[in-house]
Amino acid sequence: MISTREKVFNYAFLTLLAAAVLFPVIWTLGVAVSPEITGSLDLGHMQWSNFTDAWQQAGLTQYLKSSLIITGTAVAISTALAILSGYAFGVLGVVGEKLLFPLMLFGIMIPLEAIVVPLYYDFQSQGLTDTYQGIILAHVGTGVSFGAFWMRAAFRTVPSSIGESAQVDGAGTWTALWRIYLPISRPAIVTFVLLNFMWTWNDYFLSLILVSDPAHQPMTLGLGAFSGRYLVHVNLLAAAAVLISVPVVGLYVFCQRQFIRGMLSGAVKG
Amino acid sequence: MATLNESRASEAAAVAAPATASAGGEAVHTPRRTNRARSSSGRRRRWLGLVYLAPALLIYACVVLLPAGQGVNLSFYHWDGITAATWAGVENYTDFFTDPTLRQAVGHTLFFIVFFSFLPVVLGMTSAALTARKDTRGAGVYRWIIFLPQVLTPAVVAVVWKQIYAPDGPLNSVLSAFGLGGLTRGWLGDFTWALPALGLAGTWGAFGLCMVLFAAGAQNIPNELYDAARMDGAGPLREFFTVTLPGLRGQLAVALTLTLLGAIRVFDIVWLTTKGGPGTSTITPSVVLYKRAFSNPDVGAACAIGVVLAVVALIVSLAVVKLSEGDD
Repeated sequence: MISTREKVFNYAFLTLLAAAVLFPVIWTLGVAVSPEITGSLDLGHMQWSNFTDAWQQAGLTQYLKSSLIITGTAVAISTALAILSGYAFGVLGVVGEKLLFPLMLFGIMIPLEAIVVPLYYDFQSQGLTDTYQGIILAHVGTGVSFGAFWMRAAFRTVPSSIGESAQVDGAGTWTALWRIYLPISRPAIVTFVLLNFMWTWNDYFLSLILVSDPAHQPMTLGLGAFSGRYLVHVNLLAAAAVLISVPVVGLYVFCQRQFIRGMLSGAVKG
Repeated sequence: MATLNESRASEAAAVAAPATASAGGEAVHTPRRTNRARSSSGRRRRWLGLVYLAPALLIYACVVLLPAGQGVNLSFYHWDGITAATWAGVENYTDFFTDPTLRQAVGHTLFFIVFFSFLPVVLGMTSAALTARKDTRGAGVYRWIIFLPQVLTPAVVAVVWKQIYAPDGPLNSVLSAFGLGGLTRGWLGDFTWALPALGLAGTWGAFGLCMVLFAAGAQNIPNELYDAARMDGAGPLREFFTVTLPGLRGQLAVALTLTLLGAIRVFDIVWLTTKGGPGTSTITPSVVLYKRAFSNPDVGAACAIGVVLAVVALIVSLAVVKLSEGDD
């Protein structure tokens, strides 16, 4: 119902924006396969060995291992806790909910900056800095509020009649969770896992503060260190950046809808 | 008990804008049953609920609640992290007005708000308005592309922009190619230009989220409203102000909350590109916090910055939600 001229203008505007967004990404991809260490584009002589060189020179194997351990464990624990606490708030109800629920909400609102300094000194006195346990604990703790929220919302969309009929059939709360609520809420859980994976994998700030030992640092910090040391090898730096983005961008390509929907309704986490 | 749809709607609002939930959230889920037997089983369920919640609550208390309290307490002391702390009173807070670096950081925050919040919201709103009609084809592809920066690691985003602004980077090549070689410089090393350069990178990163958010909202505006507006002789501008903008009020609140908080807290991209330099020309409160906490530590001062950031964040979210509920 709108004129062709308006339509053309719309597409031109959108294309311009999309090009502006894509330009840095495509340029980085191009540099990553160019032979020039100064970072000038040379797509005539693509040099795929940049990726393996960057991998070796940045020592990405160790960083990848740390990233996998930290992200894998943190996401698994967070998901379990999100399910349990979401079930408590959304289905069972909780003694003292009037106090406990706003207390949980507080965790979504408070920025990381307000807790990270005391957390560092607490962890230091407990010997948790520079350990996998410490950074995993920090990720889980700061993500718990959002998880409880997210899964509470998901479980509450399950009609209470289904839960009640299970109760009549003699199912305990645990059985009802496993047999009824979990299967119905699978899409919400998948989205939660995706978002949580992305946030943990992409984290820089928490790890920067809590993990100074390179043997336990995730890939984001590895890239930072590499960027400091190898400023002159721009093509290798770009290649390393591409390699580090692959897991999340790959998931985004396949699960685009979940990512966008999830982030729209839950992007409040810091 | 709330109906399914109602609870869904309130939930979306709660998750999207935490402040709403804290203000109006908890009228929702206390099952009221008259039957005595059922109410005792309900009580048992709620104790069980506490058991299910306990592990999460314990970790949350250790990692968030306890440090938050300690942070407030520490903010009234001078402490180097090792020797005994000394009482500082409100000195760490008055630093915001007297300490030149911190004052400068606060000023930069205001500057970043334009680039991280205002510009992305305007751009996002415009592009959403353009794709609002269901007859715009290929909107999904644009959305996919423009959202992409959201999933990129901040560490990678920083590396990318650092190269773009480098003395022999593509920005300068483009300028030279257009005969503007005189303008070329190392953008992030330039006292005047480093701040807006980082700001633009922030716009790049934030506006995809705004666009997708507004586009999702715009899909809920009935096409008939647009057609009716056109029948009444409205042009694209009138249409935007009478149909699109009012329909996107809720999304506007969420977008403003998220982007304002992003602007107030910005750390990663600054730390990974300029570390606040050259000099202190791109320093932000979070960067000052990090430096005060860990290099030549004044832990109390760092904690005070954290507390102020938290309070400002809270006020911003509450204010935006209040405004969005506004006059209707």
